[in-house]
Amino acid sequence: MNDLVEPLRAIVGERRVLARAGELRTYESDGLPGYQKRPSLAVFPGTRDEVVAVVRLLAERNVSFVPRGAGTGLSGGALAEDVVLLGLHRLKGILSIDADDARAVVEPGVVNSSLGRAAAAFGLHYAPDPSSQTACTIGGNVAENAGGPHCLKYGVTLNHVLAITALLPSGEIVSLGNADGETDGYDLLGAFIGSEGCFGVALDVTVQLTKNPQAVRTLLADFMSVDAAAHAVSAVIAAGIVPAAMEMMDAATVQVVEASIYAAGYPTDAEAILLIELDGAAAGLDDDAARVTEFCRAAGARGVRSATDPDERARLWQGRKKAFGAMGRVSPALVVQDAVVPRTKLPEVLAEIHRIADRHDVHICNVFHAGDGNLHPNIGYDPQSAAEAARVHAAMSEVMHACIAAGGTITGEHGVGLDKMPYMDSLFTPATLQAMCALREVFDPQRRANPGKVVPVHACREWHAAPSARPSA
Amino acid sequence: MARRSVGATVRLTMNDAPASSHTSAVVDEVQRARADGAPLRIVGAGRWLDAGRPVRGERSLHLPALVSPDIVHYEPGDLTLTVRATATLGEIDRVLRAEGQWLPLDPAGGMDGTIGATIATGSAGPLSSAFGTPREQVLGMEVVTGRGDVIRSGGRVVKNVAGFDVTRLMTGAWGTLGAVTEVSVRLRAVPSAEASVAVTASAADAWRWISASEYTPYAAELVTPALARALGVGDAGTLLVRFGGNDALVRAALQSLATLGEPRPVEGDVWSRVSMRDAAGVAVIRLSARPSRLAPVWERVTTVLERVGGEAHATPRRGVIRCIIPLGEGDEEFSRLRGISQALRVDATLVAERLPAPLWSSLVPSTASDPLSRGIRAAFDPDRILNPGIFGELT
Repeated sequence: MNDLVEPLRAIVGERRVLARAGELRTYESDGLPGYQKRPSLAVFPGTRDEVVAVVRLLAERNVSFVPRGAGTGLSGGALAEDVVLLGLHRLKGILSIDADDARAVVEPGVVNSSLGRAAAAFGLHYAPDPSSQTACTIGGNVAENAGGPHCLKYGVTLNHVLAITALLPSGEIVSLGNADGETDGYDLLGAFIGSEGCFGVALDVTVQLTKNPQAVRTLLADFMSVDAAAHAVSAVIAAGIVPAAMEMMDAATVQVVEASIYAAGYPTDAEAILLIELDGAAAGLDDDAARVTEFCRAAGARGVRSATDPDERARLWQGRKKAFGAMGRVSPALVVQDAVVPRTKLPEVLAEIHRIADRHDVHICNVFHAGDGNLHPNIGYDPQSAAEAARVHAAMSEVMHACIAAGGTITGEHGVGLDKMPYMDSLFTPATLQAMCALREVFDPQRRANPGKVVPVHACREWHAAPSARPSA
Repeated sequence: MARRSVGATVRLTMNDAPASSHTSAVVDEVQRARADGAPLRIVGAGRWLDAGRPVRGERSLHLPALVSPDIVHYEPGDLTLTVRATATLGEIDRVLRAEGQWLPLDPAGGMDGTIGATIATGSAGPLSSAFGTPREQVLGMEVVTGRGDVIRSGGRVVKNVAGFDVTRLMTGAWGTLGAVTEVSVRLRAVPSAEASVAVTASAADAWRWISASEYTPYAAELVTPALARALGVGDAGTLLVRFGGNDALVRAALQSLATLGEPRPVEGDVWSRVSMRDAAGVAVIRLSARPSRLAPVWERVTTVLERVGGEAHATPRRGVIRCIIPLGEGDEEFSRLRGISQALRVDATLVAERLPAPLWSSLVPSTASDPLSRGIRAAFDPDRILNPGIFGELT
């Protein structure tokens, strides 16, 4: 690898290539705790041309690499072990904003909330809002097909990207999607979004912006059981009301948030709270809010209150969005898990998660996108304690299998990365995993981009064999 | 797992038989075709066989003969449905309406088409203005690839990023990567109020209203004067609008529309009549552009089509115009149609749905001929036995 340092420095400059162990420490982890993987070196191009030159050099030398945005990913997708780490956070250009068609063209390193701020001048916003939005990048959002609370109504990253100029691991540049009309043929853009850095990197992304709603109602409902809150969620959705967001926090989460600097005024004696936001045209919004209130009360809510001004709304949301940060304060490490179950299965899966936590003597806090059935069970722990880490790992594995058994999936917005690979065999058939491998190899025949992630390597073998040559099982 | 029984008037039944018992017959057909080197033309309801380029298929893979149109899983509380691909949109609609739910897909050709074909062709109608195309609604699917493998991608939950997105890849692939045998889709609750109205408006005014409005209509579809007359909704360029929501919202939305023009009530079936317009003997092409730049394209389309007796409808929010052009007889016909298409496609992307066979190669470049698409085709259908030729792919 050392012979790469000088040619890379010739492209990006002396200071933008890190090769010494001490310098690389920052890049040994991402948002997934408990893992330290040291890249062979890290390179940080500052322009599109530099990215292209770097990737072409790596292709010439047949060197593997891991793309990285802000490194906030929670599934270990940006961990690079003995391969080159390609940091893209310096490509921060918002290249254009077209207010007439409500769209923007951005470079991959643009921070999600920076795009939101730039769009605000036109009465627009970028709808996908992961909790890490003040740090995470659009390139990373594309790689993970990121979601967020407001995706309940507005959809995930896939639904907000019109086109991408992508750099394949071979160094070839391709246009995916069409910002000026329909596309015909295969949905290569759809395949690229959520490919977790395995299909290449985005050089620019054309996103659809969303008009700011005319009016917003933010409600806080508190319940004496998680079950009751889950039933309220189902009742609202079944009635045809699509809130912009419908977030649940359990007692453990509420208590941690209220003890932190992010205290939002949540009732600390509640077993569960729902943060429900309705938005859109002002007409009819109060009717919907009244019905949501009724559904919550009918399900057993102790109280339902409505934010009366923008400050109160912001405070209620801050408690939710910074819940992970609040949890981080009380334990050295925090696993933020991600799984999805059918909405009607929420009560039984949450009860099962409680039983799993008790069995393994771990403390699980739940804060999640209830309207989508997208769970985030979180466990704070001390990774220095091998015994505790093992218990956490065992509990998380059981939680994942419980979600699969309920007809759900192992990740709704964080990606598979490294963390979720062990569950892929439980979720997908061998033929399906082989198809995913085959798709990856079309974009990256040598599997040099983000190697060893997403699909377990053992799943990819059979696809290469001719049917007659397959071992008889 | 919760199961719902469905009414006796509905043909669809719950059938939770393992996928293999339904799908193995499809696998057998694909394997046989592969062994024989005999390409297959995939057929659903058989209603849209003249769409796409001519298929070099020796045999039909007639899915309804192999896969019964059962519901696999329907839990209304989840607002998701898993159904065999051969169920028609109409059959599905009857089951959903009984539970106060619906699937907002209204492709051309109406409700007799199968859901599998709708998704395989990525077909969308006026409802795509608010709800998007099948790409936005499909959660997962089962597919028999050209290798004869059964793939089950995605799932039946509304958010899912596990693994690479084979579901999106199959949606709109026109069966060239696999025959779709089962799908899971996202559903909506039927709104408490709905209203459909017509407003006389130019494309530029319509776009101004749509882009500035606080209201998101379920559908907002421009129709040419000829189509407005045929539908009985007016005799000039007209915007058909469909609102849904609670009473107060729909009332306010209708009032807001009055700033564009006097809204005239229309029958709710106007939407199905729009989707049933293209009878046999027409060519259908779609033109698309950035929504803000669609108006001049629309004006030109209107003028050209008035001259040749054609009609068009457009979804301004998506920037898509669908042109329906009657076909004449005789040797002059092809050059006439070529001329019309050349006149229409200025400043727009052209996607053809239906054309006379000899015109495809000269009018529309082959689709999916880039290296990535060719690689994907080779991976999923190495012997090119599924709908070969439908993309005009090079051999």
